Amino acid sequence: MTATRPLFAGPSGAHGVPWLHVLVFAAAVPAMVLLLLGLVRGGLPPALRAAGVLLPIAAYAFGGLLVLEGSKQVGFCGSCHVMRGFEESIRSTDGSLAAIHYGRGLVPHDEPCYTCHSGYGIWGTIGAKRAGVMHMVRTLTGRYELPITLRGKFDIDSCLNCHAFAPSFRAVEAHQDPDLQRQLVSRELGCTGMCHPAAHPERARTGGGAAS
Amino acid sequence: MIRLTFLLALVALGALIPLAFRLNGATAILFSFVGMPAMALALLLYGVYRWREGAFRAGVTQTRNG
Repeated sequence: MTATRPLFAGPSGAHGVPWLHVLVFAAAVPAMVLLLLGLVRGGLPPALRAAGVLLPIAAYAFGGLLVLEGSKQVGFCGSCHVMRGFEESIRSTDGSLAAIHYGRGLVPHDEPCYTCHSGYGIWGTIGAKRAGVMHMVRTLTGRYELPITLRGKFDIDSCLNCHAFAPSFRAVEAHQDPDLQRQLVSRELGCTGMCHPAAHPERARTGGGAAS
Repeated sequence: MIRLTFLLALVALGALIPLAFRLNGATAILFSFVGMPAMALALLLYGVYRWREGAFRAGVTQTRNG
């Protein structure tokens, strides 16, 4: 085992078969063969028509599921130029709140962006996916400005979902202040800035790497 | 028209294959903004093709026959 690999990492494939990838191929490859046959012959025999329709639909359904699940991965977020700085920052020790959470294992290592930036429950998931589509549109059209900023206010329920009932969090004197609690719940105040370090360094917002 | 339908479906599946090999922003954009519209258009064209063949007019045919 080398130093660059995580400790306790199993051999390749130890986490099971990537079924969604396999199912995409299992549906797409025969579908392409059938469609090519249809293209050459100008149609499909009646016995193969249903397969010629259902297999491409199945392939796209599995592909959609693959995108929905795979787009939670930090590597997916960081694959676009504008987000690369955030990914590098999270993996560094630059003292930002995101890097602290990642470094201490307080967020899942494969889904740190999604954990904090998707809201709670099914509507949070839907909102995150809708925002993700808009990110793709803006990346494709180049309609974004650097340094990028969060649209709207950060939903501190993402913080409170984990911290609110933690004894160490509740023991902090400032957290017991009713006025502070009211300001936090009404979003007049955020966790970062005044009390806690910024979630991400300024350098990451410009698409650059982490501060060394 | 049926050849165009097959061609569009093949384009759509062509946009899907890179995604299954490597999921990242570029392949997701290809899947969402090239593959999805191509597949939707292919299904629409196929529906129109079958409709023109009389596939969805069983009731009408029965009435006429009857």
